[in-house]
Amino acid sequence: MQDHVEDNGANMISLPSYLFLSFIMFIAGLVVMVARKNIIAILLGVELILNSAALNFAAYTRFINQNLEGNIMSLFIIVIAAAEAAVGLAIVIRFFQLKESVHIDDATQLQA
Amino acid sequence: MSPTLYDYVNQFEAHQKAVAMLNEFFGTDVTGYVTFLVFLVGALIVVGVMATIGGLGTYAERKISADIQMRQGPNRVGPFGILQFLADGVKMILKEDIYPAQADRLLFNLAPMLAIVGVLATLAVVPFSSGLTLANLNVGVFFLVGISSLVGVAVFLGGYSANSKWSMLGGMRGASQIISYEVPITITTLTIVLLSGGLSFGAFVETQGGLPHQWYIFHNPFTFIGFFVFFIGMLAETNRAPFDLPEAESELVSGYHTEYTGMRFGLFALAEYIEIFVLCGVAVAAFLGGYKVPFDLGSGVIFVEKLGLPAIIGKNIGQVLQLGSFVTKTLALYYVVIWVRWTYPRIRVDQVMTICWKYLTPLALFNLVGVTVWMYLTHNQSIWELFSHLFAAAGSGGGH
Amino acid sequence: MFQDILFICSAILVIAGTLGVVFSKNLMRACTLLLGTLFGVAGLYAVLGADFLAASQLVIYAGGVIILMLFAVMLTGGSADKANKFGIEKIMGMGSVKTYVIAGLTVLVFSLTIMKLLASFLKGYQKLDELPAFTSTVDKIGTMLVTDHVLAFEISSILLLGALVGAAVIARPRRG
Repeated sequence: MQDHVEDNGANMISLPSYLFLSFIMFIAGLVVMVARKNIIAILLGVELILNSAALNFAAYTRFINQNLEGNIMSLFIIVIAAAEAAVGLAIVIRFFQLKESVHIDDATQLQA
Repeated sequence: MSPTLYDYVNQFEAHQKAVAMLNEFFGTDVTGYVTFLVFLVGALIVVGVMATIGGLGTYAERKISADIQMRQGPNRVGPFGILQFLADGVKMILKEDIYPAQADRLLFNLAPMLAIVGVLATLAVVPFSSGLTLANLNVGVFFLVGISSLVGVAVFLGGYSANSKWSMLGGMRGASQIISYEVPITITTLTIVLLSGGLSFGAFVETQGGLPHQWYIFHNPFTFIGFFVFFIGMLAETNRAPFDLPEAESELVSGYHTEYTGMRFGLFALAEYIEIFVLCGVAVAAFLGGYKVPFDLGSGVIFVEKLGLPAIIGKNIGQVLQLGSFVTKTLALYYVVIWVRWTYPRIRVDQVMTICWKYLTPLALFNLVGVTVWMYLTHNQSIWELFSHLFAAAGSGGGH
Repeated sequence: MFQDILFICSAILVIAGTLGVVFSKNLMRACTLLLGTLFGVAGLYAVLGADFLAASQLVIYAGGVIILMLFAVMLTGGSADKANKFGIEKIMGMGSVKTYVIAGLTVLVFSLTIMKLLASFLKGYQKLDELPAFTSTVDKIGTMLVTDHVLAFEISSILLLGALVGAAVIARPRRG
């Protein structure tokens, strides 16, 4: 592709923009994790945090060294997020079967 | 990056001249705006045509079912009732828009939109012809698999938000069915990725030929099985019979769109018919040679050489032939999909999951391994190439 | 130009979705808004030239994780703000004034710390004059996955298998 993909001019969007977005997602995820009492809501917060980390890796790959190691790291983060969601939600459903609740304060015992 | 519609348009002299003239006229570089305009017009054309095809799909469904059941089918509006879908559309727009009392308004509104967005976004990578591909993304297949799963979310949300038992059960069945059958479909597509050496639809089609023995369906025995795995998965993915459990009329009134009225229901129906077309198109591009025309007529070189036409006209005739080839094969598959619906009885819910996880997924994995072994042993030759080599060897052996 | 527009759209999607997840009272809506955030992140990956990453984000999150979450919300009693309609009476708490105050303070501390760290790092960050043009990352990532990172690749496959079996075993209803 020739001229319409080039990246000149004001160069308005660079690394800090991505870091800012990632920061917002991280903070929001943290707020959700701390403030919410529903276990599934907490898992939503975890997803936000994992995404912000993956976004950071991809952004650094693009703007700092271009060797794609960051993309691979992001890929593994996505994989781990998927595994975490599957097992986490299975635990939530099992917990709900046992306690009839998904309130985090009801999870007081290690045994059923 | 990837070849797009703009690259195709850009290769014509007339276009370049027009851009130069516009540049002169406005005094600045307008290439960016022209690119945007080309994409906008292309996207509008594709979406408009596909919406019409989706509408005609409902007509075709009723007409073919009537044919199978020895009835007349719709025959009042227009010649052979072909304008029936317009009448239906007008009826849907004029209908009263009802929200169930306990519905979650936001999600209830969002669900049909998600369905139609997810389907229309897949059109960006469908290879209608070598020129008319909006964007031949280098991760095209992957993109399509990902974005079309929005339909699963939409089905689930539509079922959940209506707050009705039938909708709920239909949405649950639909979502679980869609995410389950994504597994065999994706693995089967992966075999074609291995064979073609690329994730884009351009790579899929360009490594096949125009004649049936050059298609991937007849490349080796594994891809032959793979096509049927893909086709069955496709039926389930689009909630078609015999997998239309999510909208089984006899058990759930109408499934996840029981509570939808008017144009919102219309959007769901339209999304379903366009999705069938898109998935048939994917099957054609992956297994049945895509837009390839036999004897290399699609490139248009032969018209220029033999008939002495100018290059631009020859090229465009080739494009039209390619488009015709793609659309013909896709509509033939579309016919088969409708035919299957009016022929087979619906299967049970547990049978749906059994077919997916106990038969199709292992079969797809077996195909994947089989294709890898085949490629290793035969150096990526098709079965016909192997035969021709064998005969050539036998012939030369007989000569001694 | 085009990339700037795409970036801005994605950024708006990300921020709106994230704020929605934080402030939505209804868990079902929060899940749906999270989908918006994840699509925004996929758009950001596309702007960053990580095409494979963007597509995997779409495949894994939109197709897998979000539907899983929606199912879990539904199976555990649906949205939080109204009485449930499938026979489950209990209303789940979505946080109170106390938890939000604690969360806000935590966020303040964390954000100040992170900003401090970020500032010291960004001082050393040299802005590149010209970024390289976009190229397809698929083949490079594929090669790297089976050469340099093959151990991580294999371990992640074992992890996924373990997660699959574990989720099936844990969520299976046991009677008696």
